Amino acid sequence: MPTLYEAPTTKPEKKQIKAHSHTKMTPLTAFAVNPTGVRFETQEADEQVILFLRQHLIINVPWIALTILFLLAPSILFPLILQSLPAPLPFGYVLVGTLSWYLVTAGFALFNFLHWFFNIYIVTNERVIDIDFQYLLFKRFSQAELERIQDISYTAGGIFATIFHYGNVYIQTAGALPNLEFLAVPRPDKVVEKIRNLMENLPGAI
Amino acid sequence: MTIVLTTLKVFTLVGLGLYAIFAGIMIRQEQLMADVLEEGFEPILRLLTILHFAAAVGLFILALMIL
Repeated sequence: MPTLYEAPTTKPEKKQIKAHSHTKMTPLTAFAVNPTGVRFETQEADEQVILFLRQHLIINVPWIALTILFLLAPSILFPLILQSLPAPLPFGYVLVGTLSWYLVTAGFALFNFLHWFFNIYIVTNERVIDIDFQYLLFKRFSQAELERIQDISYTAGGIFATIFHYGNVYIQTAGALPNLEFLAVPRPDKVVEKIRNLMENLPGAI
Repeated sequence: MTIVLTTLKVFTLVGLGLYAIFAGIMIRQEQLMADVLEEGFEPILRLLTILHFAAAVGLFILALMIL
């Protein structure tokens, strides 16, 4: 007898597994879907972090290059400066000067890393959040409820953005609420797609 | 030469003093941001900012002693 109906295989689809997969966080994570071990200040009990974003790692290259230059400078620059002085500088001054140079270089690197590390964009099942570490003792926490989002778009232009696949995501909100910008985030197309999916799955969404 | 060295000493001490204050503010900033975001790597960052502050204070004291 010919088979009229064949039950679908019980194997789950690959896409489904991917949608529920969790990303393990590392200190250099810039794009994480359903990250584990991340909580933020105003997170509610039933609120889930869906996307965790930082600026693309490549954004850090300029300050890392400068730090390397600063680290190499004393071996080249200091002997030249000392030779050009009319009288020899006491050893204490040379020592303090050299140590100060390395300390400031370390501070420069640390400050830039903190700036990158704490500039975070979070998408939860309820809202979109932009946390900024702008400068010393100034932080900014902006958010927009998913149902308040009117339009979402992204731009990815330039050589580096194209090669390393990062771009800016613009989130336009209703009324007087400020618009949000996710700057230089990895895979902006995926971010837009994810937020759109969440908006479509909201209760009452068309 | 003594006037030049004294001026240099004063500038170095003032600069290092201000830098130590900046390093202290950086610890506070890190704490503020850690309250906003809880993540596994945060204790290491806190340790780094504290070490940076300790180095700044240590260098200020060293400059006071040897300059």
